[in-house]
This record gives sequence, C-alpha cells and structure tokens, in this order.
Amino acid sequence: MIKFIFTGLLRDKSRSLLPILVIMIGVFLTVGMTGYIRGFIEDFVDQNARLQTGHVNVVTKAYAQNESLMPIDLALLGIDTLMKKLETDFPGYTWSPRINFGGMLDVPDESGESKKQGPVMGMAVDLLSGKTDEINRLNLHTALAEGHIPEASGEVIIGEELARKLDLHPGDKVTFIGSTMEGSLTFRNFTVSGTIRYGVRQMDNVIMLLDLKDAQALLDMENGATQILGYSKQGVYFDEEAARTRDAFNKKYAGSGDQFIPVMRSLSDEPTLGYYLTYINSFSGLMIFILIVIMSIVLWNAGLLGGLRRYNEFGIRLAMGEEKGHVYKMLLYEALFTGIIGSVFGTLLGVALTLFLQYKGIDISGMVQGGAMIMPNIIRAKFSPDLLSVGFIPGVAAMVIGTMLSGIAIFKRETAKLIKELEI
Amino acid sequence: MILVWKLAYKNLIRAGLKTWLNALALSFAFVLIIFYNGMIDGWNMEARQDAVEWDYGYGHLRNAGYDPADPFSIQDGHGILPEPFRKDLTPVLVWQGTIYPQGRMMPVLIKGIEVNQETVKIPSEILKTSTAGYPVLLGRKMAESAGLKKGDPVLLRWRDKNGTFDAVEATVVGIFETNVPFVDGGQLWMSLKTLQEMTGLHDEASFYIANEAYVPEPIDGWTFIDQETLLKPVTDLINAKKYGAAIMYLLLLAIGLLVIFDTQAFAIFRRQKEIGTHIAMGMTKGEVIRMFTAEGAMYSIFAIVLGGLYGTPLFIYLAKNGISFPVSGDTMGIIIAPTIYSVYSAALIVKTFLLLVISATLVSLLATRKIATMNPVEALKGKAL
Amino acid sequence: MKLFILLLVPFLWAQSPDPYVILDRVDQNMLSTTKILEGKMIVYGKRNTRTITFRSYSEGIDKSFTEYLSPAREAGTKMLKLKDNLWIYSPAADRTIQISGHMLKQSVMGSDMSYEDMMEDRKLKDVYYATVKGEETVDGHACWILELNAKVKEVAYEKMKIWVDQQRYVPLREELYAKSGQLLKRAVFSDVQRFGSRWYPTKINYRDVLKKGKGTDFIVTRLKLDVIIDPYMFTKAALRR
Repeated sequence: MIKFIFTGLLRDKSRSLLPILVIMIGVFLTVGMTGYIRGFIEDFVDQNARLQTGHVNVVTKAYAQNESLMPIDLALLGIDTLMKKLETDFPGYTWSPRINFGGMLDVPDESGESKKQGPVMGMAVDLLSGKTDEINRLNLHTALAEGHIPEASGEVIIGEELARKLDLHPGDKVTFIGSTMEGSLTFRNFTVSGTIRYGVRQMDNVIMLLDLKDAQALLDMENGATQILGYSKQGVYFDEEAARTRDAFNKKYAGSGDQFIPVMRSLSDEPTLGYYLTYINSFSGLMIFILIVIMSIVLWNAGLLGGLRRYNEFGIRLAMGEEKGHVYKMLLYEALFTGIIGSVFGTLLGVALTLFLQYKGIDISGMVQGGAMIMPNIIRAKFSPDLLSVGFIPGVAAMVIGTMLSGIAIFKRETAKLIKELEI
Repeated sequence: MILVWKLAYKNLIRAGLKTWLNALALSFAFVLIIFYNGMIDGWNMEARQDAVEWDYGYGHLRNAGYDPADPFSIQDGHGILPEPFRKDLTPVLVWQGTIYPQGRMMPVLIKGIEVNQETVKIPSEILKTSTAGYPVLLGRKMAESAGLKKGDPVLLRWRDKNGTFDAVEATVVGIFETNVPFVDGGQLWMSLKTLQEMTGLHDEASFYIANEAYVPEPIDGWTFIDQETLLKPVTDLINAKKYGAAIMYLLLLAIGLLVIFDTQAFAIFRRQKEIGTHIAMGMTKGEVIRMFTAEGAMYSIFAIVLGGLYGTPLFIYLAKNGISFPVSGDTMGIIIAPTIYSVYSAALIVKTFLLLVISATLVSLLATRKIATMNPVEALKGKAL
Repeated sequence: MKLFILLLVPFLWAQSPDPYVILDRVDQNMLSTTKILEGKMIVYGKRNTRTITFRSYSEGIDKSFTEYLSPAREAGTKMLKLKDNLWIYSPAADRTIQISGHMLKQSVMGSDMSYEDMMEDRKLKDVYYATVKGEETVDGHACWILELNAKVKEVAYEKMKIWVDQQRYVPLREELYAKSGQLLKRAVFSDVQRFGSRWYPTKINYRDVLKKGKGTDFIVTRLKLDVIIDPYMFTKAALRR
C-alpha cells in the first residue's frame, strides 16, 4: 500500500510537490531561524566563554576581588598540582590555564631606537604543547587575517587593528615592555607571526596572543597563571551543572583565611553574562513558540490546500464506492509522507544554513560603525541537536493535522450529490 | 475600486476563522517588529538622554590637549578659558590620583565640577552643603568596587601641578545612582574649587559642559564637540542591535507572507467558478486580479487590526512600566537603564504598517498570476487549473 | 679633646645648631666623589620575599650605573642615570629603553621605590629650608630632628623630617610628607659602619606607609668610596657591553 501511495505522490506533482515545497520552506525557516536566534544571542556569551571566562573559571580569591585592575601579582601559582586536582575531581571539564596581562609594545627602528609604541592586552594560552584545544577554542584558524598561528616560542599573533596602528606585518620584530609578577620591569622581543581579526573592536585594537610558557617566562610566573578556565566536555554551557561544580570546588578550599586560595566561578556569576543567559532562555523560547504557532497555521493551510484541491478526485473515488474512512486514511498516510519528506528536506536546508552561519557567519561590520564593544560584528547561528526536531515535528504534525481537519470535509459529502457535482 | 474593496472585505469575513488565523500569523510579525524596535528606540532614547543628562550636556568644550580616551593627556590637557567665553558652560577639571581604601591602592580619576551647576545630574549640591573637609561623591559602581559607603573616610593621594605629593582624608558624602558608566567607574567627584586649590591649577579646567543656551564659537586652544558627535558611539552601538534583529523579524514576516501567498493561491484555485462567473458577467481579468490582490492586501489590514487588539495593551504596558533588566551594562561600558521603557514613534508605526501592506499586496499579486492565463470557460467549469 | 666636646655639647644645645651646617656635615660624610656599592634589595611582596643583588657605580649625584647580578631573572639588567635621563637595558631583549613619562612612576623591581624616587638628585639644602625641631634618641644615638620645607615648587615631597645622628652625621630616619602633612613614606637607616673616614648606614628600610606591607630593605654588602671609575661606565654604550 505504501508503494501505491508513493506512486500516487510521485505521479501527481500537485499532490506532492507543492505541499512538500511549502512544508520544506516552512520547516527550513523554522530551523534556520531557531538556529539563528540561538546563535545570535548566544554568540556574545559564547565568545566571552571562549575568550575570557570559560564555562567555569578558577582564580585566587584576591584576584577575584581586584579583577578590574588585572593584578598579575595575585595570580595562581603551582598550577601543575591544581590542574591535576581539577582533572581528577571534575573530569567533565577540560581545563586551560591562561594569563591576561597588560603592557606596551615597542617597535624598534633599524638602530634599535623606539619608533612606535602602543598599549597591548596580552593573552597567553597553551598554543604550542599540542595537548590542548585552545587554538580551536579561540577560533584562531578562522580569525587569522594574515600570517600564521605561532608555531614556536617567541612568536606572537596580534590584533589586526593594533598591527595597523603600529604598522606591523608578519615577520616583524617587536619588544614587549611590562611588569613581571613581582613588579620588575620586563622586556622581551617577539616576532609577529600573524594578525587576527575577531570582529570585536575592543580586542582587535589591543590583543596580543602568545604561548603560555612564553608569558610565564616573560612575567616571571613560573608554573603560574592568572586563571584556569574550565570548558564542559559537552561543549554547551549548563548553568546548574556549572553551579554544582563551582560549589563542590569552593567547599573544598573554603575555610582557609588565605587570600591566595583558589576560588571557582561559573559563567553566570559574571552579572552581564548571567543576564544574557536568562535572556536567551526566555526570549528564544518565546520566539520559537511564536514560530511554531505560525508554522502550524502555514502548514494547516497547506493541508487544506492539498485536501480541497482534490475535491473532484475524492468525489470520483467515493462515487466508485470507496469507503469514506478509507479515503480519509489514505489521505492521512499521504500527508504523513509529504510531511516527512518536506520536513526532512526543510530540516536539512535549515541545518545547512545554520551550519553555514555557524562556520562562516555574515560580516555586518560594514553596517556597524564606531564603538561596537559588545556586539560581535559577525552574525552567527548555532547548531544544536534539537534543531533536528524543532522544525521536523511541527512540520509533520501540522501537515497531518491540517489534512485531518480539511479531510473532515470528505465525510460531509453526500453520495447523492456527487454525480451532480461531477457534471460541471 | 470601492466595489473591489467591498467584495474583498466580504469574501474575507465570510471565510471566518480561517481569515483570522491567517491574519494572526501575519500579525505576529507586525507586533514583533513594533515591539522590538520600540524597545530598541526606548533604550536608545534613554541611553541618549542619560548620556546627555549625566555627561554630555549640549556638547563639551575641550581643552585642545585633553583627550578623554588617553589617560596620559590629563597631565597637560587643561587651561584657562578666557572669562567672556564661559557663558552657559560648566567647568570640569580632571586629575589623576590614588585612593587607599583598606590599604588597597586604587588609581582614580578625580573630577572637579562647579558645585552650582545644573547642567548635568551629578549631585554637586551635596558637595556645597557638606561640612566635611574634603567631600567627594562616588557612583554606585565605583563605591562598590572600592568598598566604600556614604560617610566613609578614604585617603586620597595626588600630585599637584608641580609634581608635589599631597594627601588628605576625603569623606564620601554621597553615592549617586547612574546608568552612565563614563561618570562612574574609577572616578571620584569633588568641588572644582577644591580640586583647583589641591592641584594649584587656579581657574583652570579640562573641559566645559555646555547647556542648552550655549552658542559655540571658535576659541584658540579649545575644541567644541557637539552633542551629536559625542552621542554617536552610543547611538551606533544601539543601532547595531537593530541590524541583528531585523533578520529575525524579516524571517517572521516572510513566514507570515507565505501564509497569505498560500491562502491566495489556494483561494484562486478553489474559486475558479467564481472567477469565471465574474468574467462572464463582464469584469475584466485585470479587475478580477485587482479584487484578489485587494483580498490579500486586506489580510495585512486585518493583521494590523488584530495585532493592534492584542498588541496595544502590551505596548502601552511596556511604555508605562518598561521591561526590567537584572543588571546594568556597566561592565561592558555601555549605557543601559535597569528598566527600559519602549518608545513608539509615529514613523515606526507608519513604516511597519506600510511594510506589511506593501509586502502583503505584492505577495497577493504574485499569487494571482494564474488568473491572467485562465480560460474563462474552463474556469466556469472549475477546470481551468 | 673629650673636654672640648663636653664643653661644646651644652653650647650647641643652647644655641640650637645651624641646620644647614648639619646638612653640610651629612653631605661631607655621605657624598663621596665616586662610589662603588654592592648590595642587595629585599622586597617583601604580598606572598613572598625576593632578594635582588646589584652593583652600582656612581660619580657625584648626577651619574650612576647599576648592574643587577641576581637572581638569574634580573642578572644582566643594567640601568644608567645621567642627570634627568634614565635608560634601562635588558639582556633578554638586547634593547635599551629610555624610561620617561608615566613609566617613571613604576616601581623599581617591585620595591616601594619608584624610578622617580631614585632620580631625585638635588642637594637637600638647594630644595628645602631646614630647621632643627628638637632632639631624639634613635637606636641609642642622639639625633637632631631636622624639618625640611620645600623652597622650590618642583619637588615631590613638600616636607621632610630627618633624624641626624649627632656624632656620626648619618641620617637614621627619614620621613616624607605630603603638602597636607600626611606621612607618605618612611626610611629607616641602621647598621651604620665606618668606611675610611666616613660613616655609612648599611641597611635602609624604605616603605610606602599608605600601602600594606613591610616595604623594601636595601643592604650594603661592599662599599668602596673615592675610587677611580672609568668614564666609559657612564655612557649608553656601556649598557650593551
């Protein structure tokens, strides 16, 4: 029987093509848009997690209190031991030590005299050990504008705007001037291996990325880091889970009066991000709900269209003695098929769009002039497995329900009038 | 033409629930566009207003050497503005200092402001009436990060114009609540006179805040930056939000329009006999197309009416009570009020209205293409398509 | 001789000694034409204590050249001061950078002393009016308390108090004040030793009193006074040597 329905659908394009197209477009829009909304709102949070806060992060108590001053003298020390402990105690997370520090970049001329100087924000991550995923986490491959990612000690990668201001190009030598953890003046030469563009002006203007070991040597911070960021191995941030991890960790270290004990914080402890998370949950939920309602109306329309279009056909079939119930049942089967096919294609297209936006993004920096500090300049979408069902289920359901409603008309028809109707 | 509209209206009303469902789908887009833009406009307006009331006034007259973005410019970025030019201006002197709350060292910007000013909302009158030796005001964010409360003493150290160290115990006489981070974080406000005495910069200022009546004129060594230029980064930032959101509601609109297209395409199919009859009775195809297009366009009117029905109370509520945000944007350096009151401009409503009507009309027109190629006789039999 | 001193003391007491004479005597004692000093700086940080050793060569108060010897991290870092200019050479970068502007406010090697504090090289009597405010015993040594008030405008500390050892003409304590009279920094000199005809304190504790902490100790381990120093030492080229 399935084969029969299938053949029918294939041969009568009006039975299959249009409804499938409508469902496809509808489902495509639902999926694409849901992915887009998620991506749009979560982008900011995600960017922050990747660049700055992690899903959870560990700093010293004193550092937490003075964070705005970027106090490297209050950094975590003995991180090897701490990292081991974190890895055993919280295997659900990947842990990455980082160092954030401030200073100045000095560009020498041929004779070694200062030619240009500019403030920089150093960010040290493990780039060279090959053991971590930091390069992907920071999207370095995508963000790379020129040159290459540091491959050896002594190489740094700097923000595109900073490079432009200081007139630096890959291969150029620069001197970093800053203070060590102990407060001594420190300078060291680096080679600019490349430039990066994050699309966040605040970073592109000042960022200098380098390997953790280089920074530890530069800042006299042997086995130290300003923070250790934890990323959930599931890839997505779960607030309750992060809060549990945080509480478990802090309970272990609490009690000591030492201001250098490590403390853990979760992403939502950062007030702004916490707010954004709430925003995501409520706003995207509402948007998705509205979408599904509208889509159901669209698809119900499609179902009606399919049902009523074949008014005459049903008339003939009934006149030929087919049971009303059987016609109805066949109609529903057809609807199920068209619904599934349309939804599959729609979902595929929607996911494709989402993935495209997720990996490529649309650069809106041209539209955004001036101090775009919090707005990512690139529009992105986010894929999550539930996108597969968010359009699919309403797609199929709306098609079937639409057909069910419109099909009721079959039962209303009186056999006696059929011949008369068909005459016209 | 009136007949066409009347017919269209009757047809729609007759379709009953189905019409209203279609209109409902479209109305979501309508309401959402107004809701979102109203909120952004509200935010924009509040942010601009806050920035003007707290910091920008009607523009800043800056000493040529002073650049607020460059902390190294503070040392030399001040001067004496000749007396005749000072009309309608509030002087502010900016200086660097260090406070030591609980033995911690915190670099601060000291801003001295004329205590009798009424141009900006910095509550400078508290400084005037205070009996404390060195009264200072802090924004709430600053007070929190320094761990200071009203009435607390705090040691303030600075260097005068000659580089001589000086230090006093200042008293926090007031903590003000503001959404403008530019006057809060890392700053300490005091009386201009006091700061001028403390630094030895008598009669000098780093910049002046203009009031409404100020008429800018070129003054050697001073640059006037008008309100709009000052506000541009604030406005740009907020407008950036609009672009991102536009994609969201345009998609929603697209779905709504799909409903109309769908319905109209279907209606034409189902109503072939009716079309045939109309033509047989002497209507031209053009008139029939117009009638169906009008029907489609009328959906947008219905959508607006429907959207208005459930949207208006919502909009009124949002304009009156606002939406509360649990945090302020201080950490990101943007101005965001704890409660945003939506603002609905006539332009916004008219634009949205036109967008909906025009797009719905176009879509309906697209759906009626088949009528043009229809054979009236076949149509009369219901077999044209 | 002893009798003379015994006779002199009440005379000084009664007359109140000339503060400028005292300052001159201190200069005569402390200021050699040239000086080679080896020493260490102990920085009491928030979480650990660091010892930095150095050797410095100086001529008068205008010229000085300092080379850091240990720890390994600082070894080879050199600093040259010529009048108002300060250059630092870092072997790690093999570059010489002039410290100016806001960088002068940075602390020297994490100590409580800034580069700017280090740069001050005017004679006290050229900058301050001095008065003797009384006497006090510091570590068992009778001292005059000198109060110094700035007579020029360009000065970091408007007021100073110095406790000068009445016998050895060595300062034993120094306090630096803000214009308002707020105490800002305190230096305590101890372990005064004899080097030839001069007395020299070999331990100085320097502390920013507004900050929490124990400040910074400077300890002299070797001191050679009035020796010949190659003038090449006081050139920028010497930094890279």
